[in-house]
Amino acid sequence: MSSKPKKAKASAAEQASAAVAMAEHKYFKQKYGPLLIKMRDQSRSDDPTQQLRGRANADTMQALSGQNAQQTVRGENNSGDVANALTGQLGIAGNSGLGIQNQMGTNVLGTARQQASDAQTGMAQASRLATSEALNRAKANTEVSNAKFSAIGQVAGAALAKGFGNMQTSGNEPLPYGQGAKGREVKGTFFRPVNSEGKKFGFMSQKGSYS
Amino acid sequence: MFEGIAAQYGGAGYGASGGGTGLANVAEPDKAFAEMTRADYLDYVKDYRGFEEELIDKAQSDTTLVDQAREDIGAAGALASGVNQRNISRYGAALTPAQIQQQSRGLERASTLGGIQSMNDARIAQKEQNTRLMSDLINIGQGVNRSSLSQMGSAAADATARENQYTQAKAASKAQTFSTIGSLAMLAFSI
Repeated sequence: MSSKPKKAKASAAEQASAAVAMAEHKYFKQKYGPLLIKMRDQSRSDDPTQQLRGRANADTMQALSGQNAQQTVRGENNSGDVANALTGQLGIAGNSGLGIQNQMGTNVLGTARQQASDAQTGMAQASRLATSEALNRAKANTEVSNAKFSAIGQVAGAALAKGFGNMQTSGNEPLPYGQGAKGREVKGTFFRPVNSEGKKFGFMSQKGSYS
Repeated sequence: MFEGIAAQYGGAGYGASGGGTGLANVAEPDKAFAEMTRADYLDYVKDYRGFEEELIDKAQSDTTLVDQAREDIGAAGALASGVNQRNISRYGAALTPAQIQQQSRGLERASTLGGIQSMNDARIAQKEQNTRLMSDLINIGQGVNRSSLSQMGSAAADATARENQYTQAKAASKAQTFSTIGSLAMLAFSI
């Protein structure tokens, strides 16, 4: 007669594997459990939106304030552009901040639920905060306005220079043959230059004779 | 929670026993695993269940972007107007009443139109954020569901295998019993 079978015990290899697994599990729980709980609390309490909104505000004002002042003293109105740019940038900041916060939350939950976690906070977005269409438009409007003003200034300057140049021209009317070499001296005016013979030309003419 | 499991399944003195290796002997790995699984789940319920429910609720009802945009629209108009007034004052610009009136109208018109756009943008952004959060949560939930089904499938397969083994063993035992009875009967008749 054979003896009563004994209950099989785990082999030494199985026991060692189990011991290592338990040690690793315990280590994970001790070291990373509290960290994950801390991250959970951070994702609830941290507000990246406020930080990003501060930067959005500064970016907008930095982009528009200086040129805005020039426009203001010229009596031009761009407050609406500034307001729109600001709300656009603040909207982008809020959106990025909320995205970061949600990402932190799902990272924590994904790890807690033993699912893959995206190991980034999303704060990198802060370094490349998008520029809103409104801010771009406001900047473009200001640049166009300043360019127009600058162009008008350049044209006016060139016209003045030309006019003053015209005033510097002079010539002598020719006398009838046999009555001498030089006739009456004719000076150019602002709008009409004269040539060496005292003949007047149009404002833009290059035929003036400079004395 | 975990210390209890370690103590119960041979992990008492964990870290100091095992001949200096820091490993405790786990004599019954299956029971230890069962307890670890149970403990992990209870830890999740204690520490993260509420958090998960908050996130699910947030994905369905969050309106922070829209609310903030509504506040910003009013504040930005006033801010831009203030900047304008300070610039006028700072540089000593003398605007005519017509210019001042025109500036005021322009600001009002631009703020109204810009405000409408900002609100629409905020609504779209809010919807996108909520949808993204919800889909992330669904992905996590789907992963949990997948591993739960896998665990359950494994447990069910083990149970079925045990049942089959038991049925086979019972049949073999019966066959053996009848075989023994038959042998004994034949022996009796032959004597």
